[in-house]
Amino acid sequence: MTFKIFTLLLQAAVSTIGISLVSIAIGFVIAILLSAANLSGKAIYSAPARVFVSFFRGVPLLVQLLLIYTLLPAIGLNVPSIVAAIVGLSLCTAAYQAENLRGGFASVPKGLIEAAEVTGLSPRQTFFRIRVPIALRLTLPALVNEAIMILKSSSLVSVVGIIELTKMAQDLASSTYLPIPIFLSAGLIYLVICSVIALIGRYAERRLARTSI
Amino acid sequence: MLKRHFLKAAVSAALLIGTAFSAHAADDALARIKAAGVMKVGTETAFAPFDFIDAGEHTGLNVDFFAELGKDLGVKIEWVELPWDGVFPALEAGKFDFVAGPATITKARLERFKMTAPIAEATVAILKKAGDTSITKPEDIAGKAVGSGKATSQFAQLQEYSATLPTKVTAREYVSFNDAYADLAAGRIVAVANSLPNIAFVAKQRKGAFEVVTPAFGKKSYFGFIGKKDADSASLVDYVNSEVIKMKKDGRLAKMQEKWFGTTFDTPDEVKEPTF
Repeated sequence: MTFKIFTLLLQAAVSTIGISLVSIAIGFVIAILLSAANLSGKAIYSAPARVFVSFFRGVPLLVQLLLIYTLLPAIGLNVPSIVAAIVGLSLCTAAYQAENLRGGFASVPKGLIEAAEVTGLSPRQTFFRIRVPIALRLTLPALVNEAIMILKSSSLVSVVGIIELTKMAQDLASSTYLPIPIFLSAGLIYLVICSVIALIGRYAERRLARTSI
Repeated sequence: MLKRHFLKAAVSAALLIGTAFSAHAADDALARIKAAGVMKVGTETAFAPFDFIDAGEHTGLNVDFFAELGKDLGVKIEWVELPWDGVFPALEAGKFDFVAGPATITKARLERFKMTAPIAEATVAILKKAGDTSITKPEDIAGKAVGSGKATSQFAQLQEYSATLPTKVTAREYVSFNDAYADLAAGRIVAVANSLPNIAFVAKQRKGAFEVVTPAFGKKSYFGFIGKKDADSASLVDYVNSEVIKMKKDGRLAKMQEKWFGTTFDTPDEVKEPTF
């Protein structure tokens, strides 16, 4: 019985990890696009990017998830629970990651960008080969922090019908009447996952530090 | 690496577009379910013995009923599990075809939704801690803290009943009835107001912890399943309703009631005038 409960928690943890990783990855791609829009210096690109960030940073994730789940069908996009969960988490983390990256992009030495232009790199090459790698290196700790935040926020996606670690723990606690060991185990599983993310982040920081700016 | 992320984004985009188009394929809800071979049913899994998770397994009377319905209709049943206060908004948004729940058949709900014939009695009573001598009849809850489920008719009835007492009860709303039972066990509230079949089941499951206080304080009421009121869902609602009546006549419903409640209920074929 105890073994079965633990296996069920681990299975639910797998969906927590899957949803979070996919969302962090999609969110990262969107964040890079948002940064590009911001750095373009053209209001037609940067204004929508700013609105995006202020909306997804200013509305609680729980409300965003419920909106995506129940509002989109009104305009003909009836997305399944898993898509609603991933879209909600991705858009939210994209806004935060873009803000983190903004600091990094601002700290890229001007001289480097000028040098890149002088060597004949196109603006696009300058962005992807010079600015992004440097900004990433500078903001890596903040990005790892954000990944951990999203992993923990993924406990909210049960409101759109996804059974993840927290929901599974609640279901098991109410059917077995053993809330203390079950919530303790769920907490421990979260702690282990977050520690692994932190370790990977530290490893990546050390690797990148070897190739200094 | 980056390629894989784009692939994932492309797949989700394709999913978005796919579901948007498939919604207009057949002519009405029942025809679409038959064509797809899947009926989506929304529910809350914290409503034992109708719908709950037993050591990871989704089980209860709802699961048995819709399994039989799926067999009769020749489709698979796909469950969508949400918190109860999210179930009706999601039904209206078209996230699933029907709601299991079940929900008490009330005037307010009939105005907005279609409800099937009753599957069980829903009259509300009090669950107390075993051996609590301060509560021996329903009116003893006056002035005390009593819990019930958020967005439930049981909670509305508790408040209505509370207004008739000399001192009002402190009515507390819980996300699910399971949370209310947990607080009753922890002593944060002295009673939980819920329908008789539910609290009788909980009292039986946790003998020595909880007791049902009789008689019930609520007006006589019944549980039904819920569908949408629009023309698109009309044939589906009629079908589910005919299944309830069919299973009532051939004894399958009585067998399920016996299995989950340890007793059977004498329910009418239709509730035209709910008591509240």
